[in-house]
Amino acid sequence: MVFGGFLLGITVGATPGLAGPMAMAISLPILISVFGFSNDALLPVLGFLIGIMKGATVGGAVPAILFNTPGTPDAYMTTLDGYPMAQKGEAKRALRIAHFSSASGDTFSDIVLVVCAPFLAILVERYLDLPEKTALLILSLAFIASVIGGSVGKGVISMGLGLLAAMIATGEDFYPRLTMGQSSLAEGIPIAAAVLGVLILGEVFKSLEDLHRTTQSNTMSQVASGQSSALSHNDLRRLLPYIGRSALIGTCIGALPGIGSTLAATLGYTTAKRHYVTAKPDNAPDFGEGAPEGIAATEAANSSVSGANLIPVLSLGIPGNAAAVFLILAMDSIGGFNPGPSVFRLGGGIGDSVMNPEMVMVFGIFTAMFLANALNWTIGGIFMRLVGVMARIPKNRLLPIILFLTLTAIYVQETSMFAIWITIFFGLLGYVMRRVGMSPLPFVIAFILAGNLEATARQAFAATGADPFFLLKSPIAFIFIALAIFVVAYNLRRPLS
Amino acid sequence: MKKILKAALLATFSVALISVAHADGHGWKPSGPIKMIIAFAAGGGADTQARLIADDIQTATGWEVIPEQVTGKGGVNALVALKDMPADGTAIAMVVTESLGYNAAASKGSGIVPSGFTGLTTTAGFQMGVVAKADKGWSSFEDMLAEAKNGNLRFGTMSPRLSDLAFLLGEAQGVEFNIVQVAGGRAVMNGVQAGDMDLGFMAGIQRKGVASGDLVNLASALSEPLVQTPDAPTFADLGVQFNADGYFVFVAPGGMDPKARDAITAAIVEATKSGQASGMINNAFGGAVTIQGAELDALLQSDFESASALMAAVQ
Repeated sequence: MVFGGFLLGITVGATPGLAGPMAMAISLPILISVFGFSNDALLPVLGFLIGIMKGATVGGAVPAILFNTPGTPDAYMTTLDGYPMAQKGEAKRALRIAHFSSASGDTFSDIVLVVCAPFLAILVERYLDLPEKTALLILSLAFIASVIGGSVGKGVISMGLGLLAAMIATGEDFYPRLTMGQSSLAEGIPIAAAVLGVLILGEVFKSLEDLHRTTQSNTMSQVASGQSSALSHNDLRRLLPYIGRSALIGTCIGALPGIGSTLAATLGYTTAKRHYVTAKPDNAPDFGEGAPEGIAATEAANSSVSGANLIPVLSLGIPGNAAAVFLILAMDSIGGFNPGPSVFRLGGGIGDSVMNPEMVMVFGIFTAMFLANALNWTIGGIFMRLVGVMARIPKNRLLPIILFLTLTAIYVQETSMFAIWITIFFGLLGYVMRRVGMSPLPFVIAFILAGNLEATARQAFAATGADPFFLLKSPIAFIFIALAIFVVAYNLRRPLS
Repeated sequence: MKKILKAALLATFSVALISVAHADGHGWKPSGPIKMIIAFAAGGGADTQARLIADDIQTATGWEVIPEQVTGKGGVNALVALKDMPADGTAIAMVVTESLGYNAAASKGSGIVPSGFTGLTTTAGFQMGVVAKADKGWSSFEDMLAEAKNGNLRFGTMSPRLSDLAFLLGEAQGVEFNIVQVAGGRAVMNGVQAGDMDLGFMAGIQRKGVASGDLVNLASALSEPLVQTPDAPTFADLGVQFNADGYFVFVAPGGMDPKARDAITAAIVEATKSGQASGMINNAFGGAVTIQGAELDALLQSDFESASALMAAVQ
């Protein structure tokens, strides 16, 4: 099952416009109807889902490198260096680097998960109460808005637009807010439509225009002619510090509930960028122009989230990202597994047998994860290189296919034409943002975190007995807020490079 | 594995045979595919229940059932979507009784009233309890109350109606809760498990936690004691004249052909009793409860009417 899920995951991840969570969403009902609801069904189903999750993280780098369209939102930063490398004819090498970093980040993270899942999660939860969580979300948004892209102002605008879009028709009242009487908007804007619209359609529109302007079918890349694509020991030695740093960042972020891999990728990338400036050899390309270190840093960071993400899932039942949500849903619908602190208790548990059956289950899940890792190291690379053939497809044929696949994926998920129109609208927005030099990433992250931010803020406000200064009362929350202001102010003052 | 698959196949097949015979007896057929609107987030317990019922109906009767999510506003969005669809049995929705009761009454602008819909059948009830984590050290409602008098406890709820009930509970007992409203029962359970909330309403999701001793049912928010913890006091015992009785319910647009109503109701009931759905309902919601016909109409109407009394009580 892990194997099947893994292959599906890589393929799905490698297909622009399809993402792991989407594949998990589609497979879950099918899996449940095949395996039923008995406790025996849990492991195969979870194994398959974990396979998809892992495969998609690795596979996500493929379209990012080859087509400049991230297959998953976390792979966005991979496009920055991956695509320039592909343009230079180094697509295969870039894929190898992505695979190597992704697999090592993932393995590292899984080891951390197995070793310290119980302790870490309980520590995090003990020190972060609702006001602190609100402050932490604000800090993440401030950080993203000011660090990504060239201009803090544009970053903040991009983030604000994301928050605004997420406000539509959400909230706790019984009437849908901000819909201007449109009943089709009453359910809010579907996440897939907004995110894929801005990230993928925006890019497609921009590339189509570029194609039209240059009026020549600009074939993507001539894959690795002459130059060896294998990684030498020397290369590995150069990349390892970046991978290590990113894996650490990714693991720490994964362990925090509700933040997820896109932030990890961004942080991994920016941290690596800062180190790279001082350590770069003279003739090496800059970050953003095809530096292998950029790919390594991003891929290691976003992959190392997937293991650590299960820390809050298993020990508290709180999902860290969309993939984790589906794992919880699977456990929930099948039954026999009740994520929470009791999972890690020896003996007792739900049944009265000698060993806690839930704990046995957890180690089953760990085994599935390591199986997936083994697959990742062995056939993952071969598979990715196979898909690398797709790099030869000329862009003027590829773009319509991507457009078609993205819209189909959205239709499959939302089953409504209205979602398609929304997607196209956000595609245009993404196009405009790219044209004015505004990074779409703060938009996407703000859109994803907005619901969480509003809910946590409301809850923190209620839980503190309607204290208007709840964000400033606790020392930890106060430090987070101060940091958030500092990050924006500091980056505003910094001269633009 | 093969054995399980074989057994499952055999079971589905025999259920299909029995139910085909059963459904044919009514002599009614939909004029096209049946759209099943689901008012719950994709993948949750309620959604899974609805999709399994859709599957079961399809296998048993051969009617094509197409599930579709219309979520938000406590089921009101789904009812608005359903309201103007044809009442010929090609459109049904799964909501909770609260959607047509308190939530409809609270969202006056939407024009949703129980008389505008045809009730088909309930599928399962809520085992709504006031639940806390065991390591709080409270074994009864009184233990919790003693601590609530020292300082404001955080009370997690998942709908405005339950927030009102939590407020009234505090009022009746002379304490004040900080009421934290979150989206869905799972979020309440997460909050209680993680220590963000001290206690909260859970509608059956607490079953395994209570069985394993991680969670404690302090009180029943129903008119009757909880099945799992019969000794916990009910809201009436605690001086609250309202309760959180509620069910998952299938409805259709108003003025439906009685033949269609009977046939679809029978197909849903069959699914909750013998199909794949029945296993899931037993697992997650403690067994099927199928209230139909005039009894259901009366239940929906009285829920709607008592809603304004509840709203007036918290003013």
